[in-house]
Amino acid sequence: MGVLDFFKKATSPLSRRLGPSRTDDDLFDDEFQRKLDYLAMVSRRVFTGAMRAERRTKKTGSGVEFADHRDYAPGDDFRYLDWHAYQRFDRLLIRLYEEEEDLSIYFIVDSSSSMAFGDGEKLRQAKRLTAALAYVGLANLDRIAIVTATDEISGRMQSTRGKARIFRIFRFLKDVKAEGHTDLGEAMKTFVAQHKRRGLAVLLTDLYDPAGFERGINVLRYNKFEPFVIHVVDPTEGRPDLKGDVRIYDCETGEEREVTVTAKVLERYGAAFEEYLEEAKRFCTARQVSYFRADVNVPFDELILRVFRRGGFLR
Amino acid sequence: MHFTGVPLQTLIQIGALAGAAIVVFYILKLRRRPVAVPFSKIWQKILRDKEATSLFSQLKRLLSLLLQLALLALLLLALGDPRTAANLIEGRNIVVLIDGSASMKATDVGPSRIESARERVRAMVRGLSGSDRMLIAQMDAAVTPLSTLTGEISELEAGVAAVKASDASADFARSLRFAADTLRGLPSPEIIVVSDGALSEAADAAGPVHLGEIKLSYVPVGMRAKNAAITGFSVRRYPLDKSRYEVMLEVTNTSDEAMDVELSLIGDGQLTDLSRLRLNPHEKLPRFYPNLSGASKTLEAKIALGDGTRDDLPADDRAYALLPERRRARVQVVTTGNMFLEAALLLDEYLDVTTVDPAKYPAKGAYDVTIFDGVTPSVAAGSGSLLYLNPTGTNVPFEVGALIDDEVGFDELDAKSPLLRYTALSDVNIARAHLLKGEKDDKIVARSFKGPLLIQGRRAGVKFVALGFDVRESDFPLRIAWPLFLLNTINEFVEEDVGYISSFRTGTVWSIPASSASESATLELPDGSKRSVPIKDGRAVFLGQEAGFYKISTGTPQPGAAEDVTMFAANLADPEESAIAPHPKLEVDGRAAGDVGELKIGVRREMWVYLLLAVLLVTMLEWLTFHRRVTV
Repeated sequence: MGVLDFFKKATSPLSRRLGPSRTDDDLFDDEFQRKLDYLAMVSRRVFTGAMRAERRTKKTGSGVEFADHRDYAPGDDFRYLDWHAYQRFDRLLIRLYEEEEDLSIYFIVDSSSSMAFGDGEKLRQAKRLTAALAYVGLANLDRIAIVTATDEISGRMQSTRGKARIFRIFRFLKDVKAEGHTDLGEAMKTFVAQHKRRGLAVLLTDLYDPAGFERGINVLRYNKFEPFVIHVVDPTEGRPDLKGDVRIYDCETGEEREVTVTAKVLERYGAAFEEYLEEAKRFCTARQVSYFRADVNVPFDELILRVFRRGGFLR
Repeated sequence: MHFTGVPLQTLIQIGALAGAAIVVFYILKLRRRPVAVPFSKIWQKILRDKEATSLFSQLKRLLSLLLQLALLALLLLALGDPRTAANLIEGRNIVVLIDGSASMKATDVGPSRIESARERVRAMVRGLSGSDRMLIAQMDAAVTPLSTLTGEISELEAGVAAVKASDASADFARSLRFAADTLRGLPSPEIIVVSDGALSEAADAAGPVHLGEIKLSYVPVGMRAKNAAITGFSVRRYPLDKSRYEVMLEVTNTSDEAMDVELSLIGDGQLTDLSRLRLNPHEKLPRFYPNLSGASKTLEAKIALGDGTRDDLPADDRAYALLPERRRARVQVVTTGNMFLEAALLLDEYLDVTTVDPAKYPAKGAYDVTIFDGVTPSVAAGSGSLLYLNPTGTNVPFEVGALIDDEVGFDELDAKSPLLRYTALSDVNIARAHLLKGEKDDKIVARSFKGPLLIQGRRAGVKFVALGFDVRESDFPLRIAWPLFLLNTINEFVEEDVGYISSFRTGTVWSIPASSASESATLELPDGSKRSVPIKDGRAVFLGQEAGFYKISTGTPQPGAAEDVTMFAANLADPEESAIAPHPKLEVDGRAAGDVGELKIGVRREMWVYLLLAVLLVTMLEWLTFHRRVTV
C-alpha cells in the first residue's frame, strides 16, 4: 500500500468502507411471495370473525351499525364512550360503528434521497412492506393504489384490485429509485388533489422532512384521509460511526455543518435521534393517527404481523 | 552566546524544513472530512449548544500550532548547544589513562577487564558537562593518546572504542608524565587512571613523578586473581650437539590458592612433553627439560588448569620460543698439518671441513670460514671470514709484533666476548707468542701483560680473528676451552650465535637481526597484520607488545628474488603483570588517588537529539491517531 493510499484510507468516511450494496433484483423473490400468501392467510384467520373478509371504513359517530367495543385510549372522543358499559364493568370503552363500503388503500412511499442513505435498506424495507400490505389488501378485495413522494408525487400506480395484480405492484416498486428532497406537505397536497376518493393512506417514510413531517400528515387528516404512518427507521443512523473533525452535509439538501465528533457529542446525537422518533410517535398518537415503527433490521413478515396485532390496518 | 553544537546556519535550515513540515501537518489536520448524514436537522439541534465553544476550540488549535513551533524552536536551540562566553573557558580538563597492559585482558569481570574499563570511561564521557574537555590515552609499554583534548562526545567515544589491551606491562611513569605535560597550565586539571592497579612505581630514571596541583582519581577494575602463568621460557641448543636442545621454563601461581596445572610443551606443532604440576599459592616453579630433540624450529609451552577450568588471564598461559636455525658451515683449513686443530673441528658434525695445503690455496668453492694455521697467503675471494692462528707474515690485516720468548698467559680476558663463552683461559700457559696490534676499531679479546694475544676485527666487511701463538706451543689444545673457542669463533663468523635470544620480551624495544642492506623490513605480527619497521645497523627496531611468533622479511632490490624471511618469538614473561590481583587503592607521589568526581553535572547532550526525535515521533503519532479518530 502506498503512502497516498494509506492517507486516503485513514481519512475516508466509514460508509465507503462498507461492502457492496445489495440490489433490488431479489426483493420480491419466490420466498417473499410465499410469505405474502402466509400473511394473507393469517390475516383472515385472526380477524375473520369480526369482519368476514370485507373491509370497512371506520366512521366514528356517523355510522349506524354498532360493531364492537375497544378500550379507551387517551385522545379518543369522549362522545363515543359507552357509559352503560362503564357502569356495568367499570371500564372505559369506546363504541365502534361500521359502515360497509369499498375501501381504497393508498400506499405513499417516501422516495427521497434519505431513504437510500447508507446501504439503502430503508427504501428496500419500505418496498417490501408496501408489497406485503398491498397483497393483503388485494386479497381482501380492497382497491390499492401506490404513489411515490419526495417534494412532489414523483411516481404513481393507478388503483387496482384483485390478487393477480400483485405483480404489477412488484414491477412498479422495483422501478422506484430514491432521489430528490423530502417535502411531505407539498407532496400530500398534490396527492389529495389527485385522489378524490378518500381512504386509508399508508405513509411509508423515514419522516426526515426539513419542513416538518407534521404538515404532510395533517394535510391527509384535513382532507378526510385516514393516515397510517409506517415510520421506517434504520437504528444505525442513531449511532453514526464518526469521530474527529468532520464536515457533515445533509444528503438531500446539501446543508453543511462543521462538527468535532466526540463520544459526548455522539451520545447527545443518539438521544436527539431517539427524541425525534418519539416526537413522531407522540404526534401521531395525539391525533389518532396509526403509527408504526418499522426497524430495517426486523424481517418484514414479522413487522407485518406486528402491524396486524397493532390494529388499524385490518379491521 | 555561542553555538558550540550544530552551527546556526544549519539550525536555521533544519528549523525552516521542520517548521514547514509542522505547518503542513497542521493544515492537513484542519481540513475536515466531508461526511454525509441522512438528516442534518437532528445535528443542528445538538450543535446549537456547541456554537459557544467553537471560538475557544479555534483558539485551542492555534495554540496547539504555536506550541509545536515553540517546541521545535527550543529543540533546535538545544541542538545548537548554546553557551555563554564565560562558560566556554571554564570546565575541567581531564586526561583519562586507560590501562592497556596484559593484566587487563583478565576475564574475572565479564567479558574482560579492558571492556569493563571501556564501559566505565564511556559512562564518564557521557557524563561530561558542556564545558568539560577530556583526552583518552592508553597506557601500555608506551602511552598512546587516542583523542585530542576535546569535549566532542563522538571523538571521545571513538577513542574509547580504540583502546586495546596488549601483552606488555604498562609504563605508568611515562603515562603520568604525558598526562601531566598535557594538563600543564590548564584550569581544573584532573588525571583519571582506569586500571586494575597492577602498575609499576610512578618513577623512572628522572625520579618520581610529581603531579603538583593536578587532581588524581582512580577507577579500579577487576575482582579476583585466579591465575597461573608461564613467567619464563627459554631454549638453547647444545653447543657441541646442535640437534639437541634444552628448555628452561618457569611457572608461577599468582593467586592465593593452590592449583594443579597441566604443562604441555609443543615442538613444531607436535606435543613433545606433558606434565602435571602442583603449584602452591604464589609459588614460582622452575622446570628444566634437558636433552630434548625433535623440534627443529618452534617451541610453545602451554598451561591449563588441572580441573578443566580456565584461569582469569589466558594471555600468560602460553609462551613461545624459536630454536636457532642450523646450517652447515663450510670451513677451509690452510695448514701444513695440525692434529689439534683438525681434531677439534671433527667435534661438530655440522661443519664441512676442507683441509688445504698452503701451496694449493685457495681450494675450489666458496667458504664461510678460512683458518690460516701459521701461514698468511694473500686472501683469495670466497674465503669468507678469517681465523689466523699464529700469523707470522706481513700479509695480514693487522700488525704482528715481536716474538716473546718468556712464558706468557691470558692476563686480561674480555669475558663478555662470544668467542670466550663457556671457556676458562686464565691459566693457559703459552711458551712463545707474537703480540698482535690491530687498528683502532679492532677489539682485543685477550691479552697478556705484555700485549694483545687475541684480537677481533673487520676489514671491508670481512671479519677476522687472530690468535698470536701456535697452540702446539701451549697447553691450550689440552683443555676443553680449545674446541669451544674454535666453535665459538666459527659460530660468530656464521652468525650462529649460541647466545641466540630464543624469545623477546613484550613491552621492550627489540633489536632484531636483519639484512643490513635494507633500510626497512616488513614485520608480520602474531595476529597476521603487517607493518614496516626501520633497520638500523643491521637490526630492525620495534616496540613489540604482542606475544607470539613474528616473521620479519627484508625486501630484495632485484625483482623475483626470494625474500629473506626470519622468525622470532615474543613472550609476556612478566611475573608482575601476571599478578592480576586488583588493587583497590592507587598511590602516586605519596598521595592517594581519590574517587572520580561527579561527571553528571551537565545534561547529556545527545539527549537533545533523542528529544527532537521523540517530539517528531509524538507529533506524527498525534497526527495519525487524530485522523484514525483514536484521540478525539
